[in-house]
Amino acid sequence: MVGAVIGRMFTSLLVVAGSSVLVFVILYLLPGDPVNSLLDPTFATSEQIASLRHQLGVDQPLHVQLADYFGKLLHGDFGNSLLNSEPVLPRILSQFPATLALAAASAVVAVVIGVLLGVLSAIHRNKPIDVIARIVGLLGISMPAFWSGILLLLVFSIHLGWLPTMGSNGWKTLVLPSITLGLIGAGFLVRMIRNSMLEVVNEHFIVTLRSKGLSERSIMYRHALRNALIPAVTMIGMLVGEMLAGAVVIETVFARQGIGRIIADAIMAKDLPVVQGVIFFSAIIYVSVNLIVDISYSFIDPRVRRAT
Amino acid sequence: MRQLSKSTKTVGLLMAVLLVLSACADNGGNKKEKTAAGNEASASPSASTQAPSATAVQGGDLTFALASSPDSLDPQRSNLAVASRVYSSIFDNLVARDTDNKIKPWLATEWTVSDDGLSYTFKLRQDVKFQDGTPFNAEAVKYTYDRILDPTTKATNSVPLIAPYQSSEIIDEYTIKLNLETASQAFLGNLSESPLAIVSPTAVKKYGEQFGKNPVGTGPFKFVNWEENAEIKVERNSDYRWGPDTVDNKEAPYLDSIVFKIIPEEATRIGSIQSKQVLAVESVPPQNIVSLQSDPAYQVLQVNTNGHPYSLLINQKKAPWNELKARQALQYGIDVGTIVKTLYLGTYEQAWSAITPGIFGYDTSLENSILPDQEKAGKLLDELGWVPGKDGIREKDGKKLTLHYVDSSPNRDKRNDIAVIIQQQLKKIGIQVNVELTQDVLTKVFKNDDFDIFGNSQVNSDPNLLYPFFHTAPEGALTNNIVHVSDPQVDQWLEQGVVERDEAKRAELYKNVQQYVKNNAVIIPVYVSRYSVVAAKSVQGLKFDHSGYPLFNDVSIHK
Repeated sequence: MVGAVIGRMFTSLLVVAGSSVLVFVILYLLPGDPVNSLLDPTFATSEQIASLRHQLGVDQPLHVQLADYFGKLLHGDFGNSLLNSEPVLPRILSQFPATLALAAASAVVAVVIGVLLGVLSAIHRNKPIDVIARIVGLLGISMPAFWSGILLLLVFSIHLGWLPTMGSNGWKTLVLPSITLGLIGAGFLVRMIRNSMLEVVNEHFIVTLRSKGLSERSIMYRHALRNALIPAVTMIGMLVGEMLAGAVVIETVFARQGIGRIIADAIMAKDLPVVQGVIFFSAIIYVSVNLIVDISYSFIDPRVRRAT
Repeated sequence: MRQLSKSTKTVGLLMAVLLVLSACADNGGNKKEKTAAGNEASASPSASTQAPSATAVQGGDLTFALASSPDSLDPQRSNLAVASRVYSSIFDNLVARDTDNKIKPWLATEWTVSDDGLSYTFKLRQDVKFQDGTPFNAEAVKYTYDRILDPTTKATNSVPLIAPYQSSEIIDEYTIKLNLETASQAFLGNLSESPLAIVSPTAVKKYGEQFGKNPVGTGPFKFVNWEENAEIKVERNSDYRWGPDTVDNKEAPYLDSIVFKIIPEEATRIGSIQSKQVLAVESVPPQNIVSLQSDPAYQVLQVNTNGHPYSLLINQKKAPWNELKARQALQYGIDVGTIVKTLYLGTYEQAWSAITPGIFGYDTSLENSILPDQEKAGKLLDELGWVPGKDGIREKDGKKLTLHYVDSSPNRDKRNDIAVIIQQQLKKIGIQVNVELTQDVLTKVFKNDDFDIFGNSQVNSDPNLLYPFFHTAPEGALTNNIVHVSDPQVDQWLEQGVVERDEAKRAELYKNVQQYVKNNAVIIPVYVSRYSVVAAKSVQGLKFDHSGYPLFNDVSIHK
């Protein structure tokens, strides 16, 4: 058991390192010069451009830049922004609580709506509630967040005036963004739970339970749901990735603080150290959550524990 | 099973509706503008600026929504127009430029220029101090300007602006002499540009790299705090009494504070003023301007962006565009008026020259001097031997007539849409336009010269901006003269324009250049962009400086 956990941690570390190198190389290969966003090519002279490139170190070959970056990273130095020389890590840390609040609130929305509708739709298969649940599932997955977010804004902030359009102070500013982001997760969860509930219901032990004369309610909620939730736990790990990616859009739409905003701005400005830093940070979080999920999985489901 | 298929249909229908709706939804992206030295920012207050309020109300807080986040509030290091809009309230310059392109005193009360034009001596105000208590004097001016030249500052766009500045001599505490490498008639005016604002030497030394997050100047507002991705707050500088002639209230501002909210998404920004969470919003797209203009609760303030208007530059090194008639065919074949009307709904003006109307020396006679004429365009191409082929595209010696149109991505200011319309317009006269979008304009256009036509604009305040665009460039150098014009006569006009001290003669020189550019179909001017602010009716006295940045000195909020 302990060996397996250590093994998982080791592979997680490899994933983080690998993804960072990959991102670094991709960013390096992308067309466009970060100096472009600092100095206007129609205004600055070629000497100015060359000297700024040298100052920023972007004139070095890939392997030199790569070694330099990871050397510093090992010492906990995420580098400085090309745009204003600000250190990257403190910036990420100062903005992360806002993203965390958004992700947590969205997760609550996703789990409440997702589990509730998922179970109801499986129990009342092909009834109106099932149709509604499946529409919610489909919409959640397929509606782009920037669009559903603006739709909610129009209705609840601009026309009804109930909630603020922007900001990240207080619970009110969290309502619309977390619903927008939570709906995506809810969409996945509804479909997942519905399917696994339906699968479980057809298993032999349910038939056994029925033949023992247990009430339908007890069968569904005490036995079927518990088994159906197991795959949903794995989903939570994946949802974290979904939340981090969604934050880029949601934070921009609702003008919230957060690491999604940092990376969105940094991409536009070709501020590579910042882009790299946020991706590295997100990778660590994503991998850590999935590691925890994997480990907890074996506690939730005794069968997994026995297998490892 | 029947029920299932019914629900599938319902879902399908819903999805179809949603798809259509989402296609109609707004495409609000993150458009980035650049400052004075960069693209799109300067303006002339000639447009609809507000009349000063009869009775200003003391106090009140203004909330102003910005479209993007400033990079830094250090005037010398920032390179975004949005940063200038914020830090201009914190800093002052030596001089100010008024609506008529006259240079007025500000922190400098008077100045003299040496006969050779190589040195400027300024007398400074003696009653000014920085917001941190540091006295303003010749030392501070020298410190600021030398800081720009110091490579460790990593100053960006302020470097080309201060050229040809060489050194400063402190004559006495309130007199300073600035020495230039070469004479330049653009220099004095450039000192009014916000990237050349005077910074507090004590604060720069204290904060070092972090000065951009802790700016200290002599301006009407003091920096309070900057919450990243949320807001920047400045408050009234009650000691202020050195406002320039460009504002009515020379004393401390009426407002207690200004909070700049950073709201990147267009729809959210507009929604924030509609739901009264902010009092003013910037960068309002044309369709919203049109609808908000008719709403009595709001006022729309617009100001032209000065400099080189967005124009299509034709590469004269590429055949057949090296021939005048081919370029003229483009001049007549492209219906610029229709493009500007269709895409900007009357919120932008059509451009007619290589400089915008607010720039000194602008040639008004160029307006309406070329009108679209497809027949004429076709005739010009006929004369060159380009005859329509089977598919309607003209051919000559078995070669098709194509135009390699390079535009930058992402789509700023609907410029990619301009390319698409031109593609259709030129098809009618038998030219096949191949549009290429690139993120790396520097390499594609400036280094590799790989284009026939390329659209560009530049913010500036002086007609000398024409020099880098049309003066003969040294072979092989990275240059702005991407059209590759090389004419000794043009060179002479441009060289003389830099140093000519007689205003009438200087204007004449630049008119000659503008005429040349039109007569030789060097570029096709498209539009003069405008910076727009929508404000609640209660906000009064909001003006713009020559660069198009808001002036908050006269602003007051009426209930």
